[in-house]
Amino acid sequence: MPSTRTVDPTRRRQAVAAWVLALPFTLVFLVFTAGPVVASLAMSFTDIRRTDVRTPFNVNFVGLENFAALLGDETFRKVTVNTFLYLVLGVPLTMVVALAVAVALNRVTRLRGFFRVGFYLPVVTSIVAVSVVWKFLYREGTGFNSVLAWVGIDGPAWLDSTSLALPSLVVMAVWRNFGTLTVIFLAGLQTVPKDVLEAAEVDGAGAWQRFRAVTLPMLQPVLLFGAVITGIGYLQFFEEAFVMTEGGPLNSTRSVSYFTFDQFGFGNWGYAAAASYLLFLAVVLLTALQFRLLRQRD
Amino acid sequence: MRRSTTRRLGTPLALLSAAALVLSGCGREESTAGGEEQSAAIADGPAEGTIEVWAMGAEGEALEDFSAAFEEENPDADVEVTAIPWDAAHDKLSSAITAGETPDVALVGTTWMGEFAAAGGLMPTPEGLVDEGDFFPGAWGSTEVGGTSYGVPWYVETRVLYYRTDLAEEAGWDQAPESWEELKEFATDLKAGGAEQGINLQPGQTGGWQTMLPFAWSNGAELTDEAGEEYTIDSPEMAEALEFYSSFHADGLSGTGLLDPGQLEGGFADGDIASFISGPWHTALVEEAGVSPDDYAVVPVPGAEGLPGDSFVGGGDLAVFEDAENPEGGWKYVQWLTQPETQQGFYDLVGSLPSVQSAWETGELADDEQLQVFATQLETAVSPPAVPTWEQVAAVIDARTEEVAKGVKDPEEAVSEMQSEAASIGTGL
Repeated sequence: MPSTRTVDPTRRRQAVAAWVLALPFTLVFLVFTAGPVVASLAMSFTDIRRTDVRTPFNVNFVGLENFAALLGDETFRKVTVNTFLYLVLGVPLTMVVALAVAVALNRVTRLRGFFRVGFYLPVVTSIVAVSVVWKFLYREGTGFNSVLAWVGIDGPAWLDSTSLALPSLVVMAVWRNFGTLTVIFLAGLQTVPKDVLEAAEVDGAGAWQRFRAVTLPMLQPVLLFGAVITGIGYLQFFEEAFVMTEGGPLNSTRSVSYFTFDQFGFGNWGYAAAASYLLFLAVVLLTALQFRLLRQRD
Repeated sequence: MRRSTTRRLGTPLALLSAAALVLSGCGREESTAGGEEQSAAIADGPAEGTIEVWAMGAEGEALEDFSAAFEEENPDADVEVTAIPWDAAHDKLSSAITAGETPDVALVGTTWMGEFAAAGGLMPTPEGLVDEGDFFPGAWGSTEVGGTSYGVPWYVETRVLYYRTDLAEEAGWDQAPESWEELKEFATDLKAGGAEQGINLQPGQTGGWQTMLPFAWSNGAELTDEAGEEYTIDSPEMAEALEFYSSFHADGLSGTGLLDPGQLEGGFADGDIASFISGPWHTALVEEAGVSPDDYAVVPVPGAEGLPGDSFVGGGDLAVFEDAENPEGGWKYVQWLTQPETQQGFYDLVGSLPSVQSAWETGELADDEQLQVFATQLETAVSPPAVPTWEQVAAVIDARTEEVAKGVKDPEEAVSEMQSEAASIGTGL
């Protein structure tokens, strides 16, 4: 009977082989992922600026000063509110639209592939190209406003208005993003067992009741996944505003990511790193919250 | 489970606290830029050795062949030019300085001088290399960081007033406006004559300071004190200039929206935008958009009381790096590139406007009436403070200007906010 301390030579060889095989990835991960993450976190506690490039260790350790300064920064507060608006307007809208389209597509038997590709197309299109086209659609005297003019409405300059610019960007983002969720929800809908739905129908449940009481609960894991990934996406809102409004008018479309980008551009590396970690924290908290709210209670 | 979580978090936390210890152990030293002596004069005689040069844009592409004349004069020298795209130039130069692996000479955008000099990357200009008085004063100003010059201006650009002469004549203007009062009347008349915008003045937003600040400079405002250490944005002159600038927006003479690329030129061609302020590149753009050269003119920007008004000067400086392997050869090459004859030759080749004043007095440049307008404007053009934090301060000025242009803040309040924000950002020197 072999002692438990003796290592099986085959297993040992396997372990060595595993380490050797994992080594390239581990090194790449440590150097290019873990390293920069730790370095940027360390940076957020210092006053490092880009003029320190030659002497990156000759900077002052400032503790939580960057974070405190951010909370007192009027622009940062403004962009935080904007980002929150992107989130609370964007996520529910995207999910509702995606779910509605998915339910409709689930009933279509012919041409489903065609529609699926059609709705998914905006997702794979370059976001910059999409933004440029939508910028023209929102422009005065063209696009949406010419349509509105047919029914006698004099459309506003959507992107030049401090109150309309952000919702306009959200509408575009919803159009661009719902395709992904539609595909995912559609897959989810097809896993809802037909016999349960039929049983509900026999029990006298109407279409809406079947949807509420059977389909939605069955979809909960898929909905959770959808909420998490769209939520993370909207928290990092950037390109649309960058191309279409440059963060304006009057900072009304500037997001936290945009703010961080600006600060990096100004060379305030420590401050920018701190801002990006606050955003990271927000992503973690939001995800935790969504898991709590949408967790299956069984 | 619990154990492995602790272990997973343990390593990064340990690394982090180690990093914190390392960082707290070292403090910031006094910055080197500012108050530094100019480098010692370089020896006479021909340049020797390999001179590595980085340059951007059309200048970078043409420079290698153009330098053959220099190599002829200096048989032992070999100029090696690497053309780099503008988009990548800032990061490339910045990482080169970080790594200490720099070329000998590079073209540096005027607004980057403060940053690279403060990072300790640039070598102060040697005594007696060139005569400061030969250059346009605003252009020379762009090389001075904290009172020390870190390079030599190579080419320049400045902003002038573009207007549709045909529309102006219809509105009763045979001459361009020369003072603020006239500019206002001019824009009002052009608007009355049917243009949507009598003049387009960028309402703040990215880069808007390049149009707005010349009004402040014309009115006697200074952004920093004499030594360049403190911001002096909050002044009655600045507030007055901003009030005048934003009056065009308030009176509907200028739009307040963000223009799409091509919208300005298109509007100018259609007669919707009767005038605007921009740089030399716009002559080609407006003609491409269909404006006949007979139907528009460029003139110096009007000053508060009359001509000449101040404008913004930008362009490119030539700098030699602290880590250059052949600084002497590099400086000699810079010296050669900024001689009037060389500058004229380079203008003929790629069309960059010379930074040396005397290069404008003879040859093709002297005969071109349109270009002479730029030459006149350059004499009173000002460069923004060459400090590492300038872009951030400029963004503050842009944001506050936008608020004033859109009527949500009054000029005095905006100017005092510019001052307090700029003061908290600091000069970075």
